[in-house]
Amino acid sequence: MAHADSETANLAKAAAPGGRPTFWGALLQNGAYQAISGTLFKTPRRQFVLLASLPLFWVFFANLGPIIEMFWIGFLDSYPPKVGYQPQFTLANWAAFFQDRVFIIPFFRTLAYSFTFTTITLLITYPVAYFLAKHVKRGHQLLFLLLLLIPFWVGEIVRTYAIMILLGNNGAVNLALKSLGLIERPIPFMYTGFSLGVGIIYLTALYMLLPLYSALEKIPDNYLEAAADLGAGAWTRFRRVTLPLSREGIASGCTLVFLISTGYYATPVLLGGPRSTVFAETIAGFFHVAGDQWPMGAAFSSIMLIATLALTGLFLKLMGRDGKGMMR
Amino acid sequence: MTRHTRILMSIIYWAFVAYLFVPLALMVTMGFKDSKFIGFPIRSWTFDWYIAVAQDTQVLAVFGYSMAIAISTTVLSLIIGTWMAAFLGPNTFRGKAIIFALACLPAVIPGIISAIALRIFARLIDIEPGMMAIILGHTVHNVPFVALVVMARLSTQPKSHIEAARDLGADSIVAFFRVTLPYLKPALIGAGIFCMLLSFDDFVRAFFLGGYQPTLPVLIFAKLRSGMSPEINAISTIVLIMTAILGLWAERSMRRLNKGS
Repeated sequence: MAHADSETANLAKAAAPGGRPTFWGALLQNGAYQAISGTLFKTPRRQFVLLASLPLFWVFFANLGPIIEMFWIGFLDSYPPKVGYQPQFTLANWAAFFQDRVFIIPFFRTLAYSFTFTTITLLITYPVAYFLAKHVKRGHQLLFLLLLLIPFWVGEIVRTYAIMILLGNNGAVNLALKSLGLIERPIPFMYTGFSLGVGIIYLTALYMLLPLYSALEKIPDNYLEAAADLGAGAWTRFRRVTLPLSREGIASGCTLVFLISTGYYATPVLLGGPRSTVFAETIAGFFHVAGDQWPMGAAFSSIMLIATLALTGLFLKLMGRDGKGMMR
Repeated sequence: MTRHTRILMSIIYWAFVAYLFVPLALMVTMGFKDSKFIGFPIRSWTFDWYIAVAQDTQVLAVFGYSMAIAISTTVLSLIIGTWMAAFLGPNTFRGKAIIFALACLPAVIPGIISAIALRIFARLIDIEPGMMAIILGHTVHNVPFVALVVMARLSTQPKSHIEAARDLGADSIVAFFRVTLPYLKPALIGAGIFCMLLSFDDFVRAFFLGGYQPTLPVLIFAKLRSGMSPEINAISTIVLIMTAILGLWAERSMRRLNKGS
């Protein structure tokens, strides 16, 4: 506050006649600047339009534009455009998806994986978030939270690699099991749905943890005390007080983890195997292997986008809230 | 809450911390192994892999390339994100909820779809795959994060600040640069560092939008596909340390902001 006050004091000095004008003071006195700002800010309406210009341009051009373009390309029979050939409108790309098991199986596998990983992440992080919010002293919460945050700043590739070292045939887990005499030969964890799950949960757990933590932290302690006074046992208190009040955190956490976990490409390539191919790899194939398959890749991406957004929309509806403020 | 559940929960917490840290610790350890083969046990130790990385001109060039992309992305994201927040924060207008949802869209769209859509879009607006395309992709992805952080900070600024500035003769532009911007500074530092981390660590957008020159995550990915090597561990460890320092700095800046102004 004091900082801003001194700022305003400076401003007063700048604008005051007689004093030596600062850059901003000089700017305000400058005739050309006055003329320009006079026209631009003449009415509140003009100011609003000016303020709205870049954000609206960005939202429609950069956020919505690529998505619409992707849908549109999905309806063309050839893209990027070839010289001397006018792309024709077609539904074949969309139909291809429903005609081949090679496409449908990875698609449903991805949804099943993401659903499973989201559920497991919720079950793992709920007690962690509860412990943080309710059992750690206020003064120490930041430290405990920071301990969890640090690994999440590290990128996707580095963390995926760390999981490869953990689960490989010569990895730490197999070494530990072997030295304990539990196994003779290494267990092949890698290149399965299991290793993929360990990796994806490692990457996404924070997106569950933070919404849960902020929801649980807001529940006043005396609610639980009141419930206890009225004779509710630990389980009833959890089921009737804590769980309903943390519903918003569960809803946003699950939405984020589900959406984000369907979108990983490098992690399934590195941790998964031929029996755990996900749809991201299918889509990527159209852009890497054969350059001419863009329309098919675009159509498939659109199908996946519609499916994931529809599922999360349905989920949020079931949880009794709309998507507003999902990011907070 | 009974004593047993309390103990159980603290065990779960520490197990979770172990799950997060053990893989990274193993990865760091492996970078000091005196052998080409990744895997346990480690019989002898060396520092050679770090020396090899320091002398690898390709890695150094790629590092600089990733850094340049991260810095450009951060500058663009901060400008557009702050502008977005200044527009969406204080104003109410018809259709605001829709604009707000669209503004947040890139943050929740699955990464692969966002990358593919941007790849097609870059072709449409005639940007060749490469640095410009990656910067565009990363900026699209980062703007929502900046906007949300700045909006949160903006909502705590007292109206009297701007009014005082206006009374003293500043117009909207000068009031913004001299009063609002200094007030936003901690939020901008925090958001800026996170933008750099998001951009520097991003794989999927850089992979699909990049040309022949790889970014650092793309290079690590390519090296991993041709086989694990302790050199990758050394590179990753350097990235890890840098990331942790930057992250802690950002966190400190953001926390100071939460304690009140």
